[in-house]
Amino acid sequence: MKLNTASEVISFTKKLEEQSATFYKELSQRYVKNEDIFLSFVNENKKNIIQVERAYYGVISDALEGCFAFTVDTDEYLLTTELSEKTDYSEALERAIDIEEKIIKFYLDAAEQSKSFLADVPRAFKIIAKKRENNRKTALKALLRKGE
Amino acid sequence: MAILEEPIKEVVKLKNYINGEWVESKSDEILDIVNPATQKVISKVPMSTPDEVNEAITAAKEAYPEWRTTTPLARVRCLFRLKELMEENFEQLSRVQTQEHGKTIDESRGETRRGIEMVEVATGIPSLMMGYNLEDIATGIDESVIYQPLGAFGHIAPFNFPFMVPLWFSPFAMATGNTFVVKPSPRDPISQVKIAELVDEAGIPPGVYNVIHGGAEAASILMEHKDIKGITFVGSTKVGKDIYKKCGETGKRVIAQTSAKNFMVVMPDADIAGTIPALMTSFFGNAGQRCLAGANLVIVGKDDSFYNKVLDAFVDTASKIRVGYGLDESTQMGPMQSIDGKERALGYIEKGIAEGGKLLLDGRKADIIGDYPDTCFVGPTIFSDVNPEMTIAREEIFGPVASVMRAKDLNEAIEIANRSNFGNANAIFTSSGKAAREFQYRVETGNIGVNIGIVAPMAFFPFSGMKDSFFGVLHGQGKDVIRFFTESKVVIQRWL
Repeated sequence: MKLNTASEVISFTKKLEEQSATFYKELSQRYVKNEDIFLSFVNENKKNIIQVERAYYGVISDALEGCFAFTVDTDEYLLTTELSEKTDYSEALERAIDIEEKIIKFYLDAAEQSKSFLADVPRAFKIIAKKRENNRKTALKALLRKGE
Repeated sequence: MAILEEPIKEVVKLKNYINGEWVESKSDEILDIVNPATQKVISKVPMSTPDEVNEAITAAKEAYPEWRTTTPLARVRCLFRLKELMEENFEQLSRVQTQEHGKTIDESRGETRRGIEMVEVATGIPSLMMGYNLEDIATGIDESVIYQPLGAFGHIAPFNFPFMVPLWFSPFAMATGNTFVVKPSPRDPISQVKIAELVDEAGIPPGVYNVIHGGAEAASILMEHKDIKGITFVGSTKVGKDIYKKCGETGKRVIAQTSAKNFMVVMPDADIAGTIPALMTSFFGNAGQRCLAGANLVIVGKDDSFYNKVLDAFVDTASKIRVGYGLDESTQMGPMQSIDGKERALGYIEKGIAEGGKLLLDGRKADIIGDYPDTCFVGPTIFSDVNPEMTIAREEIFGPVASVMRAKDLNEAIEIANRSNFGNANAIFTSSGKAAREFQYRVETGNIGVNIGIVAPMAFFPFSGMKDSFFGVLHGQGKDVIRFFTESKVVIQRWL
């Protein structure tokens, strides 16, 4: 599905963050040893939603190109968050890294598309993408290296 | 994407807000307020009686002495509370605008944000309202200027920004110690009722802010009443001129921001990819119903390939605009606010065809997303081969209709723009500082954009306008509006 308006993109952002939060919540229950790490991701997801909404509601103006700032194809960012009974720890972490990469790509693509049109929103997108890349992805990779 | 929930769920007859009370009108002339997208009646509005309008004015007049002596700090604390309440109700206020006006939810949220920004700036009144002084203008003699409020002011609001436009004035009027009577447009008055509810909750004293529903008769009473010190108005040039004249006769101050016909000039060195979305917002945002909307697109240069490239991109992008109900998040352009507005736009499209314009994109039968009646919808419409003398190039259409013309160079583009009777907002799209400077220097318009499609001044700058787009001296917003709402009193003193 193609998204063009800022409102759609903000709703989609929220959906991605919520899907990601649900996924990490499940990981926290499955792998109690790393419960704290996964729950911290869940909290971060909530903060990301607040950060994006704050940027959007704070700068959205009828004078900006809010309805014409994006050409987001949601198919590029579909997340696979379901974990089967058979999914093992390593596979789950690989899935998490895959989810992070897709979300990072979404944020960077959306920031690039709207950089001339939406004031602080692309900046918020980039900050979240960077945080994910530097912190979360690194943490997930470290867990993967460490093993169960 | 889902349709967002409608905040107005039952039809009620709106009340006037007079002297801090919600008062039922005795009028038997009641109009329906119709959601332009769904065509459902969402509320009813009374055309208040002359007595009721007079009551609102009296309330404002009587509240003035006490409000005027309330300290500026105490006055702005009320506005801080109002701002907080607006933030808390941000989404509801925005959705109401979409429901009663038809604009997209992004546009409504943008309108809400801009309205709140007015309140934010007005909270700076303790600094903004300061006068100035000079010691020893002669030995032992000092001179100073103090700014004082004047009394009760009236506002006659337009339909196109039902939430924001009255806020260009009301927070500044109240912050400076004046009182205020708003007459919303009867087409979409609910946003102003919502503001009055928040004004009430914020603890702004009775009579300081009043809302009176009505049409031309109520407006006439406001502008002719001896107890009204000034009128602020946003609407058509015809009405604005009349208000300016009538208020002149009775010595009232006036800000009348009126019609427009704005030129968007695209230079051969413009960044086309960045320019096209700006043009979409400019020409088709708010379904073209704004005084800052682009109306005439002037593509500059003798190079046919550049002209065709810009025109093709403009038409192609406009043809893909998703037209629908503004509460559907995927909608990029909503309906026009009324059947009258639509018929007016359709009339101009017919004129454009009759006068030889080439209709490249015909919005008369809009392709609507979702199952909505086409009663108020007009799709993006583009004419090429328009010359500046054609009716569609000269008159305000106030709908999503673009007229494309060519100019051989910047000089010709500026001359075309300056031939217009209007002078509200023109913009240039270029990567040349020299061209931008030349445009800014010579073009006769109050608001100028450089690579900006909607030249909407922020709350701390005046909303300018020239020629037939503005009647008055001081403009809305910014320092201008603070001067408008205050008298300069000069004190010269010597102590013996």
